[in-house]
Amino acid sequence: MLNDLRQTARQLLADKKVDVVIGYGQADPAGPAYPVFITRPEDTEQLVFNDRCYNNLTTFLTRKEIRAMGRAAVLVKGCDAKSVVVLAVESQIDRQSVVVIGMACNGVGQPSLAKCRTCDVHMPRHTDMVIGQAADHAIEAKDRYAELAEMMSKSASERLAYWGQELSRCVKCYACRQVCPMCYCERCVADKNQPQVIKTSATTMGNLAWQINRAFHLASRCVGCDECTRACPAGINLRLLNLMLAQATEEQFDYRPGMDKDAQPVLGCFSVKDKECFIK
Amino acid sequence: MSEVISARALRELIGGWLKAGIRVAGPRRVATDQVAYAWLDRPEDCLLGGYIHPHNSIKEFFFPRHESLYEYRIEGKKIALKNPEPLADERIVIGARPCDAAAMPILDHVFNWDFKDPFYNRRREQTTVVTLACREHDHECFCTSVGLGPDAERGSDVMLYELDGDMYEVRCVTDKGGNLMAGRTETSQLTGSVPPGPAKKFDLAYLRETIGSKFESPVWTEATLRCMACGACAYTCPTCHCFDIVDEGNARGGIRAKNWDACQFPMFTLHASGHNPRNTQPQRQRQRVMHKFSIYPDKFGDVLCTGCGNCTRHCSVHLGVQTVLEAAEKSWRNATV
Repeated sequence: MLNDLRQTARQLLADKKVDVVIGYGQADPAGPAYPVFITRPEDTEQLVFNDRCYNNLTTFLTRKEIRAMGRAAVLVKGCDAKSVVVLAVESQIDRQSVVVIGMACNGVGQPSLAKCRTCDVHMPRHTDMVIGQAADHAIEAKDRYAELAEMMSKSASERLAYWGQELSRCVKCYACRQVCPMCYCERCVADKNQPQVIKTSATTMGNLAWQINRAFHLASRCVGCDECTRACPAGINLRLLNLMLAQATEEQFDYRPGMDKDAQPVLGCFSVKDKECFIK
Repeated sequence: MSEVISARALRELIGGWLKAGIRVAGPRRVATDQVAYAWLDRPEDCLLGGYIHPHNSIKEFFFPRHESLYEYRIEGKKIALKNPEPLADERIVIGARPCDAAAMPILDHVFNWDFKDPFYNRRREQTTVVTLACREHDHECFCTSVGLGPDAERGSDVMLYELDGDMYEVRCVTDKGGNLMAGRTETSQLTGSVPPGPAKKFDLAYLRETIGSKFESPVWTEATLRCMACGACAYTCPTCHCFDIVDEGNARGGIRAKNWDACQFPMFTLHASGHNPRNTQPQRQRQRVMHKFSIYPDKFGDVLCTGCGNCTRHCSVHLGVQTVLEAAEKSWRNATV
């Protein structure tokens, strides 16, 4: 698998089909892998792929520093491949000019991250190629949202107390936003200060305002890569918010962001069949 | 001869402080996998083992992430200002890591340079720092590379060393520490020690000598292109101290607040004209590392880093002072051959 990956990357660079391959490198086998940007065929030996390859590299596709490097090939796991679909649907990338290398993935982390335990895209979809083999099996919706069901079984005041407690640790470092492939705005609403709509203060109320705002903006767009959850230095379980968005989108609109590249995005289309029961 | 205290007596002591109305902060489990320095409600909240480093630093007890400088109220054409209530309480930080304690005297320089920050200084005066020497380190720790170590005393009022049999050796470093522990310890023959800290990751003397002339080095881009531009490194760092002053309120009044800010955000240096002198992420990373290893030490004589490793530990792309300086040293040494 690793040989195939390096060979593929080497060929893409040698044939000048791409200028940069966005992949994973790892200096210390005991440490995590991290993003690398390979521009020369001889450097493709640096590429690795294993269960420490956490990052969703598609976030880099919209970064100006990376765009300046030219045409890109990007490695994606099944979860990350979904964000390529959403980026293309939202016209943030020209899908034809990006080479998407899917990597069959059996989960990352030791033990596997929560998202991997209910993953039904071990084989990446809508990519230009897939390297490796992994078995996919359907996961029932109730299993995908099991953690959320546990949270929603609590009363509203218990849930508010939970989020108040969790978000009291938020320092507003915006790691959740910065690692998110869907947070590509050149200027985030949190950074707009005339007027300052979202307080910059890292108080519980300010943090609540920020995360509610982020959830609103990611509704029907979040692909559930959960990088925000992993990146949070305070260990806030943002995954629960992501699950809430995903469940609402699936139940109300039968839509899972990034799963079907031809599906109309929920926020970008209107159907008379749209349920309106959530408008109260 | 040494002074020791049992773990039980130490907990009772913490309980006594809390009962006397003293605010006590220390490492505390705040979520399943998270240990943070936080205010303690009960003595048993305090964790004195089982983790390498809390996810934050003790700086927030001196320089909080959000602080009101004053309140203002607008009535007609009059503006009334109100200062915050003075902080009168005595505070104790217990179980600080030596790398966190060492950050405080380093930060004293900047908060007492052209303007003596009354908020910071008042907290410094009121707070006693009790440090727990380290018996373990992880891949991210690099205190030994910046001249500190697992039992460095800098910034601590008291040092605690774990002994066998649920005991701690107590070494009072300052008078403040001596006053805190007076009459609380027993004399013993046992003395504490710590294993050697992490192996050195880079040559500080070489980097200090070289870094000033390396502003245009390609290593900045090579080593930091993957930076995601968040503030996780700065906000978990014991020595990063940038802040922003903002007004929060409505037409009738509000507060003027001092909030943490970080040089990794593009907004940090964005001019009103739209020009940004640090326009790319590698330029911002270069600023962070050069501030710590060139600008600050040139001005104040101290490197602005204690090797706690929180930057790399909490970075989603495994990027921090250690990874950047390792890459820089390798690149610069090779270039001069």
